[in-house]
Amino acid sequence: MDLETPTAENPHGSPAPPAFDIVSTYRTILESDPDLTMPVAAIEALVEAIAHSTVSTVAETLDLLERHTAVLKKSIPNPISLSAGTDLFQRYLVTTLNRPASLNLGPDDDFRAIRNHLLSNGRLFVERAKASREKIASFGKHFIRDGATVLTNGGSRVVGALLRRAAESSHMRFRVIYVLSPSTSTDSREGHQIVADLRSHNVPVATIPDSAVAYSLGKVDMVIVGAEGVVENGGIISRMGTYQMGLLAKSKGKPFYVVAESHKFVRLYPLSQFDLPIEQKVLDFTVSVVDKGVSSEPNDEGIADMNAEEVRKCSGNTAQDSVDFTPPDLISGIITESGVLTPSAVSEELIKIWF
Amino acid sequence: MAQGAATVAPGLSSFLKSLRTTPVDPSVEHFTSLLKRRQIRNSRPCAIATVALLLRVVSEFKGRDAAKLVERIRQVGRRLISAQPRELVVGNMVRRVLGLVREVVDENLDAETNAASEGSHNQHSHHDSLTRPNLTSSISTFSPLKHAAAEPTDSNLSQSENMSESGELWRRPPLLTSHTSYAPASNAPLVHSLFGLFSQPETPSNSSTPTGHQSPDGKGMLTSLNLERLADLSRSKTTIDLRAEVMDGIRELQDELEQSDDLIAANALDHIHSNEIILTHTASTSVQKFLLAAARKRKFTVVHAETYPHDHTATHGILLTGKKRETQGDDEDDVWKPLTAAGIQVYAIPDSHVFAIMSRVNKVILATHTVLANGGLVAAAGAHMIAKAAKDHQTPVVVVSGVYKLSPVYPFDIEELIEYGDAGSVVPYEDGDFVEKVDVENPLYDYVPADLVDLYITNLGGHAPSYLYRIVADHYRSEDITL
Repeated sequence: MDLETPTAENPHGSPAPPAFDIVSTYRTILESDPDLTMPVAAIEALVEAIAHSTVSTVAETLDLLERHTAVLKKSIPNPISLSAGTDLFQRYLVTTLNRPASLNLGPDDDFRAIRNHLLSNGRLFVERAKASREKIASFGKHFIRDGATVLTNGGSRVVGALLRRAAESSHMRFRVIYVLSPSTSTDSREGHQIVADLRSHNVPVATIPDSAVAYSLGKVDMVIVGAEGVVENGGIISRMGTYQMGLLAKSKGKPFYVVAESHKFVRLYPLSQFDLPIEQKVLDFTVSVVDKGVSSEPNDEGIADMNAEEVRKCSGNTAQDSVDFTPPDLISGIITESGVLTPSAVSEELIKIWF
Repeated sequence: MAQGAATVAPGLSSFLKSLRTTPVDPSVEHFTSLLKRRQIRNSRPCAIATVALLLRVVSEFKGRDAAKLVERIRQVGRRLISAQPRELVVGNMVRRVLGLVREVVDENLDAETNAASEGSHNQHSHHDSLTRPNLTSSISTFSPLKHAAAEPTDSNLSQSENMSESGELWRRPPLLTSHTSYAPASNAPLVHSLFGLFSQPETPSNSSTPTGHQSPDGKGMLTSLNLERLADLSRSKTTIDLRAEVMDGIRELQDELEQSDDLIAANALDHIHSNEIILTHTASTSVQKFLLAAARKRKFTVVHAETYPHDHTATHGILLTGKKRETQGDDEDDVWKPLTAAGIQVYAIPDSHVFAIMSRVNKVILATHTVLANGGLVAAAGAHMIAKAAKDHQTPVVVVSGVYKLSPVYPFDIEELIEYGDAGSVVPYEDGDFVEKVDVENPLYDYVPADLVDLYITNLGGHAPSYLYRIVADHYRSEDITL
């Protein structure tokens, strides 16, 4: 499809996509600003893509977006969070451009106006996205009561912002138990940063490994986690280990809050861990291959090896940055910039933009 | 509780009577003191008194400026709420009335300037706030309680601007979507809150927007917009009879308060079946009417936990006469009869027997003091225990509540919502020995978390607890949640 569409019916668009490298744009944007989330970076990249193209009709634009989105999704191992951004952007364009009541402007002008708006306000989106994080922080800090102990995990920037905000309001004394995996992934690096930051704000922080969650839970008043994506049934997709925190919190009757910007809402309906549309190399069944010569099933092993190779090639998630799915019944509330939602409110928000 | 020995105890009826003759400000004073002394307590009396008072406030309001009317109502509302912050229903009623004013203004603006280029603004913003679930901006609703000092410091997200600016009528809380409606290039509403990220910049002239270096919530821009909108408002207000329309609205609200019990009771036959054993507790007119409505057609058994020590007299009263003993004297027109007169077998049990008897109960029907936005509820003490016991026996728990009790407040701190009553009713003060050595407590309310409730029955019908946020969004304007 990538090759067909431009040559067939898109004389203007055809030179643009090869010249414009969406993936590198995306990566540059993401690297240029450590505060940026994947969905917003993806939106930024798509805006850039429109800016570099010469599209002049709605259909062309949507087509262009679709192709770029596909390329972008293929390029990274876990496109769930990203697809929240691209989907939102696409829906936004569809609804704005196809709006029946485009009153005093012709469709052509309308399109140009929208285009101009998008192009000239790229930075504004980013600002808004960051502002929404601050807003969440100012909502969410009220959840943290004086004397409370908060359990959290990973390097979520929203959670970091929330805890910092709570720490800055001087009269609040609270403690944080931070679950940090010993790995050297970017996630845990960011986690370490947040921990250092909190400690410099005079918040007592204890860091524990994943295995100590159940042990620590007796001292915990509430659990706050970030999320990579909030799915339609109100569950969340988040870094590995969140699900078990949710289960444990539920079993101990501790409230489990999710903080996520609403641009992370994504239209997926996973029912279990293995429904996620990504490859994860978490369960990697192997047997010891000491005695290769005697192997009774040489074929099987060969296939297994090949599969493993393949998975590695098509960039499956490594164990460090793998994600899991936390079902909605474990979640007490989702703190977004437009308020605290119950998990069942997520689907309504999504339905509003899709239908 | 604090009912004196005087023959005419001050209370709801005396307040309503005096309201007719007293000017507004002394009436506000009067009501606050009644609230403080708990001479008007419980949701329904508080709601009735608040609405009656606000009706007076609106009717005495001079001038036609909607913004000033809102500020006036708000000011009265704040005084009432700080008088008794735990009667959340007072705040609910104030917010409903504020919502009425805004609705009247919006409708009139719409009708008038529909053709004009600016006409769409208010319509959109109206839409906006109706479609968005706003559970939470309720943070500062608690302000009279313990973290009052913290609230105004929220300001950097422009929440405090809300209060200070004269144009606050048109200021929305700083939700991202709030200004979608300013896009001249796209006149139709963008009601989808998830699109907040893309919303058009807030400057009226869209095409020449500079490359977004301004912060999205820039105060300067907003003020100029406010001015524009207020100008809008003043132009149109010549034709609105604001006061009359708002008063009509308030009377409708009064009707709603009156009818809500009957509307709830209309659902009774769907939920109570023949030969069932129903457990309920405390004295509640809503529950009583609900059961009576079912008793007209069906035979069932009621087990009534008496809620000792704070509510047992009222409970006994309702069992004997079908009416709370403390509210004698008014509503003579209502035909009250106890459940027993309708041929229903009633067992009164102490609260301690609830768990033992729960295995035989088919359904638990709870009355409530306030329902909170997350689906939890504050009810007479003992409710949590009953709900827990019901959960343990897999018995369905149905909560009966008028929509007026539904509050947009999010329970950040449960302790704040619980009121403690007269410890003397647990152990009389004459028992000096005991009282000196032992701490006696008498909590009046319980917080019941949402997951223990199976169904809410309101005057709008039955709802799952997870759906309540939607009803909150439908009934309260987001800009009023922080009073």
